[in-house]
Amino acid sequence: MYMLAIFLALIVLSFVAFFMGKYAGAFSKISSATIMVLTVAYAILIFPSRSASGLTPINSYAFAPGIGIYFSIGVNGLTISLLVLASIVSLVSILIADKKEYKATFYGLMLLTESGLFGILLSRDFLFFYIFWEVVLIPMYFIIGRYGGQRKDTVSLKFFVYTHIGSVFILLSILTLFSFYYGYSGSTVFTLQMATLLNPAFINNSAYLPVFWKGFMLFGFMLGFLVKLPSFPLHSWLPDSYTTSPYPATVMLAGGLSVMGGYGLFGILLPISTTIPVAVLWVLIALGIISLLYFAFTAMFQMNIKRMMAYASASAMGFVVIAFSAGILDSSLSIRNIELSGGIFQIVAHGIIMALVFSTLYFISERTGKENIYQMGGIHREMPWLSSFLLGGLLASLGLPGLAGFIGEFSIIAGVFQTVGWLIFLLILGMIITASYHIWTAQRALYGPYNETLGKISDASRKEIAILASVTIVIFVLGVYPNLIFGIISAYVGGII
Amino acid sequence: MNSMQSASHVSMYYYPLLFLGVMAFIMLALGIKVSNKNVFAGITFGSVLVSMALILLNPYDGVQVGSLVFNTFTIFFVVILIISVLYVTFPMIRGIKTKPEIFYSTLIFVLIGMIIATLSYNLIIIFVAFEAVSIGTYVISAYGKEKRHLEASTKYFFTGTIGTAFTVFGLSFFYTATGTFTLTTEVVSSSPAMLVALLFLVIGFGFKLAIFPMHQWAIDAYDGTENGVSAFLSTGTKLLAFMILLKVLLVGFVSDFHDVYILFVILSIFSMTYANLAALSQNNLKRLLAYSSVAQAGYLILVIALVGSAGIGNVAYVAVTAGMFYSLVYIFMKGGSFLAMNLVKKQSVEVSDMSGLAKKSPATAISFAILLMGLAGIPFTGGFTAKYYLFLSLIEGNLWWLAVIAILNSAISVFYYFRVIMFMFWKDPVEDGNFNLNVYSKIPVIVSAVIMVALFFFFYLLPTFATYAPGLFATMGGSI
Repeated sequence: MYMLAIFLALIVLSFVAFFMGKYAGAFSKISSATIMVLTVAYAILIFPSRSASGLTPINSYAFAPGIGIYFSIGVNGLTISLLVLASIVSLVSILIADKKEYKATFYGLMLLTESGLFGILLSRDFLFFYIFWEVVLIPMYFIIGRYGGQRKDTVSLKFFVYTHIGSVFILLSILTLFSFYYGYSGSTVFTLQMATLLNPAFINNSAYLPVFWKGFMLFGFMLGFLVKLPSFPLHSWLPDSYTTSPYPATVMLAGGLSVMGGYGLFGILLPISTTIPVAVLWVLIALGIISLLYFAFTAMFQMNIKRMMAYASASAMGFVVIAFSAGILDSSLSIRNIELSGGIFQIVAHGIIMALVFSTLYFISERTGKENIYQMGGIHREMPWLSSFLLGGLLASLGLPGLAGFIGEFSIIAGVFQTVGWLIFLLILGMIITASYHIWTAQRALYGPYNETLGKISDASRKEIAILASVTIVIFVLGVYPNLIFGIISAYVGGII
Repeated sequence: MNSMQSASHVSMYYYPLLFLGVMAFIMLALGIKVSNKNVFAGITFGSVLVSMALILLNPYDGVQVGSLVFNTFTIFFVVILIISVLYVTFPMIRGIKTKPEIFYSTLIFVLIGMIIATLSYNLIIIFVAFEAVSIGTYVISAYGKEKRHLEASTKYFFTGTIGTAFTVFGLSFFYTATGTFTLTTEVVSSSPAMLVALLFLVIGFGFKLAIFPMHQWAIDAYDGTENGVSAFLSTGTKLLAFMILLKVLLVGFVSDFHDVYILFVILSIFSMTYANLAALSQNNLKRLLAYSSVAQAGYLILVIALVGSAGIGNVAYVAVTAGMFYSLVYIFMKGGSFLAMNLVKKQSVEVSDMSGLAKKSPATAISFAILLMGLAGIPFTGGFTAKYYLFLSLIEGNLWWLAVIAILNSAISVFYYFRVIMFMFWKDPVEDGNFNLNVYSKIPVIVSAVIMVALFFFFYLLPTFATYAPGLFATMGGSI
């Protein structure tokens, strides 16, 4: 009930924001902050007492019971950590948005995106899951198309159509499960409840779910989720969308929307992991490694720092795919737990780190007007605060111990070694490349001789420092005391495997 | 016939039709003195509303009067067709220059034909009523200020008569094979003549439904006629043709269901795919909507394919329910988007003419965007629920691959619908005064958008419709 109240409040607030005129900015900042505080309070104070395996009871409300549609809401260890992430990232993205041109519509759309994310994570009914999955895309489409940079019209269309086709495959998979479950239940039950449909005993029973349709179902889900992550070779919407969208929306895309794919893998495919063929898991591992290396190499050659970070973000998500599939393959339960929890932790850490990096970049590019790494040159002399925050973000992104990024990558590497054997060197190679281009970028953009053409520029204001510092503190806290959410995650994973 | 009862007071069922006819003649007479367009629109709206009330007040639970069947299913379609007339009454005012009384009385005559065709289970009566509808629509599609309206109407007329010829020919084969024109008893025949009848009837009615390959006239006709008329042609007459096809094919061809299935699978796949691909490259917005209307008809006839494959039973009822809901949603999304063409002053509307609508009138732009999203099947519109339920019923009927094709098609369609949205929201207006933002242009769009969103939240209507759906097969001894 608590989360339902927050969720409904969020939806109402996002619609109200459209009509707030010039107060929309302040209004949505306060609303988003309230939502964040309430969600975090729930996660820290109320949730852990619920149950050991981290699952809360599901509240269901009849919507159209005749055709098996219930509005069900529930929280588990995975979703609570992702909800915290989504609320923090949305808050950051709304806080940094204070350009004059951002009218009430902009804030309304941002809050709508946040509501969509909450809806995806909270829904325990597949129909509503799918609906919110689509709902997230529409406000993002409008934000990119209306407030974006170069080629915003084509890029926004590409973003929408690309991810929409992914979603459509998810819908097909959902319908597959729905329809065959009807036969399995003895032609009595129409249901779209996740808890019922994600049932390995049913999915593995080829008398009820033919092998072809089982494969089709898995394929649809994986395609939809991998587009969102994104994984090689389904990534081509990502760099364009990240580069073109306005910075607040980039924060939302990188921190919020990449949650969706990860949630799909760990929230929907993990409970039915025993039905995924081993060969497919190896393909996923291969895709993950290719993503990791290929995107790292591509990032290395980017001139535009925003585009570079877009590829870096995709590269980091490669770890998530590897953790997911290697974790399922692993036979030892404790190692498995570490890998899978590491994968989920990586999603959370990645989201918050990207929020820090892109918001700092926003402040820098607002002042210098530059996004080209070489033209930024030596800005540390003029803006020590901002360049320190950016350096912090970059270090976290490359996985420096003590910061949040390290925990996820370390647990993944430590666990995956059992499964993939010598392939681990490819992962290590990826990490080395990642580290090198991050450091190289920091060197070229922040230090070195100052680019005098920029003239005299001001450093961050107190408000900006406050925002960036709080995000940095979160990254630091998660880095030194990961158990804050690691405990919840591994309880969830332990409940599943 | 067990559940059918014959009515003792037959005449009361004709009152709504008589009332409409009288009102139409009164309007014709009134036209001698009055020439105010609003008066006639008002009278039409009022009398159609009254007739709807009269129809709904009748005790219509499975009553059969002659070959007319009054049950919840047929009355549902009557109401839908009445809505499609009500919907265009006021927006049509813009397109009429002279003699509004003739236009509006023709519209009412068309409605009478529609109601009879919907209620009747006799092929000859259906045919005659359908011809009355067609002739009426030839007249109203020529109604307008410009020469090109006449041209569109002529094209429509010529293809329409070809359609009629095919229908008559098909009917004669039907009679040869079965020895009857009525569908009120189960028709059993496996004569090869039935195949010819099937093919010819599908071609004949397919012209009105505008499905591939009988759709070519529709693009030109919708493009050439007044916006209100194209809204009516693409909703009213199309849904009537759909209803008739449901009735004739699913009740009359029970023993040839397999052929119905094969034929309609082919027709629907081609309609969807061809129209969606053709719409991708359209720059003329009205033609784009016309192609999308062909594609939508392709989705609609999936219902017939599904019933043909599954046979009469629970799956068929689910499929018919999906068709019913789709028809209801379809009026608002398609009719609304054709009426949105009224927003632009030009006669032939390009996609780029929508540039900057969001700046001039945000509410209208958002409403039109909602309608387009409905056509594309994006959540939180009735279009999503309709498509979702349709695909669900396909999957329940084991027509998996057909559902996949349909869903991929709806993913393709997102391209061209969102291109229009793109022009509305993030391009600057081409010139000032391009838009025609008076109440008559804005209200229909906004109202349909509101209804579209409402229909999403009303999807518990579906179980209600599901209880109506068996009524289609009522005359074959099925339940109501």
